[in-house]
Amino acid sequence: MSKQRIENSFPDLSANNYSITSPATTEYNCIAWAAGDTEKWWWPDPLYVDYWPSEAPRTDSLQSFIKAYETLDYAVCDSVVYEDGFEKVAIYVDYAGKPTHAARQLSSGYWTSKLGDWEDIEHNVLNSIIGSQYGSVATILKRPTKKPSSS
Amino acid sequence: MTLINFIGCHPLNYNLLHVGTVAIGNESKVVRERGTSSLEHFLESISIQLSNPMVKFYNLKSKWEDETAMLSSTTAISMHPAYQQIIGMGPVAIPLILSEMKNNPGHWFWALKSITGEDPVLPEQRGRIKEMTEAWLSWGMEQGYPLYE
Repeated sequence: MSKQRIENSFPDLSANNYSITSPATTEYNCIAWAAGDTEKWWWPDPLYVDYWPSEAPRTDSLQSFIKAYETLDYAVCDSVVYEDGFEKVAIYVDYAGKPTHAARQLSSGYWTSKLGDWEDIEHNVLNSIIGSQYGSVATILKRPTKKPSSS
Repeated sequence: MTLINFIGCHPLNYNLLHVGTVAIGNESKVVRERGTSSLEHFLESISIQLSNPMVKFYNLKSKWEDETAMLSSTTAISMHPAYQQIIGMGPVAIPLILSEMKNNPGHWFWALKSITGEDPVLPEQRGRIKEMTEAWLSWGMEQGYPLYE
């Protein structure tokens, strides 16, 4: 059932290019998941319902989302290709340029996305979830991978 | 007032109501009366369903969830026409929303803030769905709203 509803909403996903990696939950969304947070729903809504970093403007513009990830040491870059020593985040926007989704790159080079209230998935390429729901990829950001502290 | 009185004639059987002055046999009269009665009963039950806030709420909620569950944008989720219609139901929707939240925590905060003008959620709880849900359920209890099973 889960796979069927996912593939109905994202027709470019098929059995051989993605996998479900978590149960469905409303506790966090894709923006939080890309930021490494599984406890909050991030969104700059005008009613101040959800979490948004105080250093970023509370508007649903691409610049605001870039600023939000910059607070986590990400910086805009120009390549989706996996680079050893870095982790990357992609921001998707709709036809009007408003952010819709974010995905985070894994060390395998694949991407991980939380689909709204649904599950987390791992997908081979960013373009497998472009379309009417999430629009297209607008920006890539990267930051150095945190090295495990030595004890 | 019955549905037929309200509409002025039977919507599905106009002719039935206009043979009253024509001489007809008892059997035809019985058929006409029973037909009218059953149609009225059928249409009244639809009318009652459409005007029942709980039925309306769950119809709108189902449509809203089907069309927004894959979204992350709180703005897009909350501006969906079905969600806006729930907000438009006004205070009658509050106990229905609180009852739904108790069983299935979800994105009801925008609606509750819009309808009530209140916000029992602390700034540090923003985005924490469980804590926000508990804050609103406590608020509802303080206000005396009933929770439905």
